[in-house]
Amino acid sequence: MDEIQKNNDHARYAESLRASSPELVQCLQSGDMDGAIAILQQVNLGREQTLYQEVGRLTRALHNALKDFHLEIGLDGRLDVSNELSEMVDARSRLNYVIEMTEEAANTTMDNVDSASPRVQRLIERCNQVQEIWAKERAGADDEEYNAVSRLLDMISSESKHVQQHLQNILLAQGFQDLSGQVIRRVINLVRDVEESLVRLVKLASEVEQVAGIESVTLTEVNRKETSVSEEGPYVKGVSRGDVVNDQDDVDELLSSLGF
Amino acid sequence: MKILIVDDFSTMRRIIKNLLRDLGFTNTAEADDGTSALPMLENGQFDFVITDWNMPGMTGIDLLKAIRADDRLKSLPILMVTAEAKRDQIIAAAQAGVNGYVVKPFTAAALQEKIEKIFERIDAQ
Repeated sequence: MDEIQKNNDHARYAESLRASSPELVQCLQSGDMDGAIAILQQVNLGREQTLYQEVGRLTRALHNALKDFHLEIGLDGRLDVSNELSEMVDARSRLNYVIEMTEEAANTTMDNVDSASPRVQRLIERCNQVQEIWAKERAGADDEEYNAVSRLLDMISSESKHVQQHLQNILLAQGFQDLSGQVIRRVINLVRDVEESLVRLVKLASEVEQVAGIESVTLTEVNRKETSVSEEGPYVKGVSRGDVVNDQDDVDELLSSLGF
Repeated sequence: MKILIVDDFSTMRRIIKNLLRDLGFTNTAEADDGTSALPMLENGQFDFVITDWNMPGMTGIDLLKAIRADDRLKSLPILMVTAEAKRDQIIAAAQAGVNGYVVKPFTAAALQEKIEKIFERIDAQ
């Protein structure tokens, strides 16, 4: 439809030029330069109006697109971040919620690790004590029962050490909360920046509408319409981050090349 | 041995604190960015700092520079534990006088190795 409109505008301009051409030619031939200039100005004025209408149409399309973001802007043109109906603000608070939830989950996991670790440690220590006592208690050379208990003690000791290692791995794995949280914070900042840019666009659009003399809906009217909340949905390694090291070995290599 | 752990994420502070405890370092304190870390360092008789880089307020690299610029603190050993993995950043940290650099996610062994290396170097001086 825009294309048709554009073609229509062009056709209108051509038509008005064509309509004025006999008069224009006559003025030029008779040496009436003032008359010729007046005719040209008349034609150009029509063209300018077409241009304004075009700008106005684009502005309106922009306005409609921006309405979909439900940006809330106060009368002074500042972003009203306190209004929870703004979907952008809502997106930010949802992301913050993800950070809080993952933090809570990581803490619950670490609480459990903290509770289990000393128990395993006690088990290892007690087992070592019993092993020492048991070694002294040894009476017969190849007593089957005696050996069975020895093997059990050895097993408790070595298995407990494995559990200890796994607990430490679980603890370290909670670092995901920090790494994912950092990425989410970046996205939150990005959303805020986009939001602010959109607000500037809305203001600009309304100014253009005024200049072009197009009937305008006030900002607040635009933004208070149809405000509703709908449902929505990390830093990915190797995504355009430039010269990045791959692992700790790379870091060590780089540092040693610097004399570390 | 008193150690200050600086990171804006409490999860990471807790992880490092627990790992240090496993390594036998039980005297630790925590700060959530450089701004809160500096006064603690000035008053707290710390022997070692483990800091993140990317933090709101004062970043780890700025904390590092501030420590190196402070006559009373400048010899304090600093280990950076961060997700910032650009070569430029590692070089900048080295030039600012960092004693070790560990990228997240890290292993307990890597952390232990870097800490031991730092103290070996200090003992050798």
